[in-house]
Amino acid sequence: MIDIRLTVNGKEYSLSIEEDKRLIDVLREDLGFIGVMEGCGEGECGACTVIMDGKTVNSCLVMGFQANGKNIITIEGLAKDGKLDPVQQAFIDVGAVQCGFCIPGAILSIRALLNENPKPTEEEIRESISGNLCRCTGYNKMLEAVERARRYENGA
Amino acid sequence: MVLNVVGKRVPRIDALSKVTGRAIYPQDIYMDNMAYGKTLRSEIAHGYVSLDTSEAEKIDGVLRIFTYKDVPKNEHGVVYKDHEVFISKKVRRVGDPLAFVVAENEKICDLALEKIKVTYEELEGVFDPVEAMKEDAPKVHDKSNVLYHFKIRKGNVEEAFKRCYAIVENTYKVHMVDHAFLQPEAGVAYVDEEGNIVVMVATQYPHYDREEIANALQVPVERVRVINTNVGGAFGAREDITLQIHLALAAKELKRPIKTVYSREESFLAHCKRHAMVMKYKTGADKDGKLLAMEAEIIGDTGAYASWAANVMRKAGVHATGPYYIPNVKVDSYAVYTNNPFAGAMRGFGATQVPIAHEQQMDMLAEKLGMDPVTIRLKNIFKKGSVTATGQVLTEGVPLEECLIKAIEGFTFNIKREEA
Amino acid sequence: MKKRGRGIGLSFYGTGYGNGFPDVSKARVKLLEDGKVGLFVGGAEVGQGAKTVFVQIAAETLDLYTENIHLEMEDTDITPDSGTAAATRQTYNTGNAIKIACENFMEKLKEYGRRALKLNSTAGLKVEKGEVYLEIFPQKSISFRELAEMYKEETIEAEGEFIAQTVEMDPETGQGAPYWPYTFSACGVEVEVDTLTGQVDILKARLVQDVGRAINPAMVEGQMDGGFAMALGYILFEDLNLVKGKMKNMKFSKYLIPTAMDMVEVENIIVEEPESTAPFGAKGIGEPVMIPVGPAILNAIYDAVGVRITELPATPERLIKAIEEAERRANGG
Repeated sequence: MIDIRLTVNGKEYSLSIEEDKRLIDVLREDLGFIGVMEGCGEGECGACTVIMDGKTVNSCLVMGFQANGKNIITIEGLAKDGKLDPVQQAFIDVGAVQCGFCIPGAILSIRALLNENPKPTEEEIRESISGNLCRCTGYNKMLEAVERARRYENGA
Repeated sequence: MVLNVVGKRVPRIDALSKVTGRAIYPQDIYMDNMAYGKTLRSEIAHGYVSLDTSEAEKIDGVLRIFTYKDVPKNEHGVVYKDHEVFISKKVRRVGDPLAFVVAENEKICDLALEKIKVTYEELEGVFDPVEAMKEDAPKVHDKSNVLYHFKIRKGNVEEAFKRCYAIVENTYKVHMVDHAFLQPEAGVAYVDEEGNIVVMVATQYPHYDREEIANALQVPVERVRVINTNVGGAFGAREDITLQIHLALAAKELKRPIKTVYSREESFLAHCKRHAMVMKYKTGADKDGKLLAMEAEIIGDTGAYASWAANVMRKAGVHATGPYYIPNVKVDSYAVYTNNPFAGAMRGFGATQVPIAHEQQMDMLAEKLGMDPVTIRLKNIFKKGSVTATGQVLTEGVPLEECLIKAIEGFTFNIKREEA
Repeated sequence: MKKRGRGIGLSFYGTGYGNGFPDVSKARVKLLEDGKVGLFVGGAEVGQGAKTVFVQIAAETLDLYTENIHLEMEDTDITPDSGTAAATRQTYNTGNAIKIACENFMEKLKEYGRRALKLNSTAGLKVEKGEVYLEIFPQKSISFRELAEMYKEETIEAEGEFIAQTVEMDPETGQGAPYWPYTFSACGVEVEVDTLTGQVDILKARLVQDVGRAINPAMVEGQMDGGFAMALGYILFEDLNLVKGKMKNMKFSKYLIPTAMDMVEVENIIVEEPESTAPFGAKGIGEPVMIPVGPAILNAIYDAVGVRITELPATPERLIKAIEEAERRANGG
């Protein structure tokens, strides 16, 4: 067992975990963040994407102890004071959601992109979610959602 | 008709829960006192199998190892009950379920899976549906590998081909593919206070799953309750049973909540595939490009189990002409067992495969006749009142010409290639 | 060298179980304590949007806002059997069952309204905007909530059942009416093929879908985008790599499905011609949206480089091989 301390969605947690426990399992099983999805367990599908210290990571490829001292944002932490993040709201409004399993990961990838690059090109948006596999939507409504989210963020 | 809600871009009612991570898929369910189950699967495609679970059962934390002996009625299947819940004697594909280990946690399940001794007596397999149709091919089930033959006989194709100015003949091969939805199969089952078996899964048809579970366990249907959680994509792959009966059986016997989550690889092994097909086509038209005759032989590889094979190959047969009026049609489509992964429903259900053939045939005919691909289609497409190859009258709702015209807006189609 | 080509694909698709097999959907509608309407359906939401479509159909039929419909469809203990979420049948079949259930429910409401309003007959009673009222004397009016309160000891509910019409085909001739309704689709694409690498890029794509009537256009477009992507993977690269019955590609690192980088913008065009037997004219489209895309791509590849791909997938290797063979033949080799 190993002791770690990490911040998830603005709240600090101290816990004792098995050395071989993956971050995704810490988040889901120990802390109850079930919006972190597991689609492949090998870093290919991006369903388990979380933002760690500002960068997206596949939480299935990060060991729990590696998250010690890190600041993590999961899909559950995006809404502020009961108000959805503009990216979440845009996904709803343009109809970018179907089965939903890839959606938390895709939204977090786009959130991280917009944080660094508020005016991304189509190519940059496609690249930002190229690690988030989706079998339902064909991604195009997600691109539309990014445009919409930017409008919301600019107060339009 | 004035419509207030229909026709509007109403936001999905399940979108909010999905963008906030609150939507519950079966893997998200955790219950008190929950045990875990994992499936042992066959590693060979065809052969007799026997298991020795005695060593595995001794592992601390193993609660029970279920095999075919534990299933009251060891069968399931959407049309033909040709799947066994666990293989009793003969495996017919890589991935056939052999046993279900239930333990206190997943790690112990893995240990136990390794300790189960599996002995195979391998048999020659058959992996090509055309080969499988031959009399002397290895038999996947104890009968002919051809499980279904669909026919259309309309007009007289032999005579009509004689009148054709241009004829195109080709064989097309399409392969098996996977639905690859993002949410791997998972489920939790438990027995409630009234003694009913509750199975929480992601399925395309909860009521039918309930019947399959009740039948295999030989309990009244009313004693089984299926809760369909959020479903992380399906596309046809969640029509057949995968883990439902395993979970229900374990929960019933152990009186504890049991959870199973498949890995991506196990997901590939557990559910059906799109039928691979060999499609032999002969299509003929007169000098003006009017289709006169079409003959097609379509052989579908349903792998080790039937699943929806008959319905899929029937649908392939019915749609073999494409959306064109053809007065003389002969279609033979077959569903054939092999030792490949089993094929079943996948988006388009047989009707996705045949256009790979008929639409290329149309272009080739156009080229032979010195026509462009749009003109030849416009001459033959279904319109209101058209009669299909099965004699069905399309009385309404046939806006295909409009579809075609809109699809080519902004393109130019002027193929006038020299004949090679 | 990079060569461009254009291709089209057309398809039709018969929806429902088909071939005379009883294709039954059931729905139940019930007045809830708070005056909202409970809709109980056994169909599955698999991501296609069934829940939203069902609520829209019920709200339209009952003349309510969608917020006033409470949908239950997860639990076999409390929902009727609405058949499988497959065969592109939920919008048409279960949609019809819901519409019928709602219409029956309105008759029930009128009967309770007559009793509550102390009228001699239900003639001229209207059910609109959550109220039952008499058209010729609108002061005679009672809300759903008041009805629910007044008759809380009773269950005000109605069922609806829809059975699709098909005719089993003759086993020898295949003559019959195997499906209904049919939907029609067309796709046009322009591709660019790199003759050195065999890489196929889609430059332009138009997908046209006959829907009868779009219950929710945004969701139809979502299906069309997704169908296009699935066809793209099927035609160009998805491969299980089956060797003697064993799949060699069972991970996303090997079994490649389209990513956002592979996918292109698709111009989705919805064609509406309401179907008389369908709920508000709506036909299902979940499967058909995928079907014309593959052949359009294959025909465009031929238009670009003059080779027919008759065996899928049309991988770069297979395409290069076919191009080289065609060149050899052209050179008399």
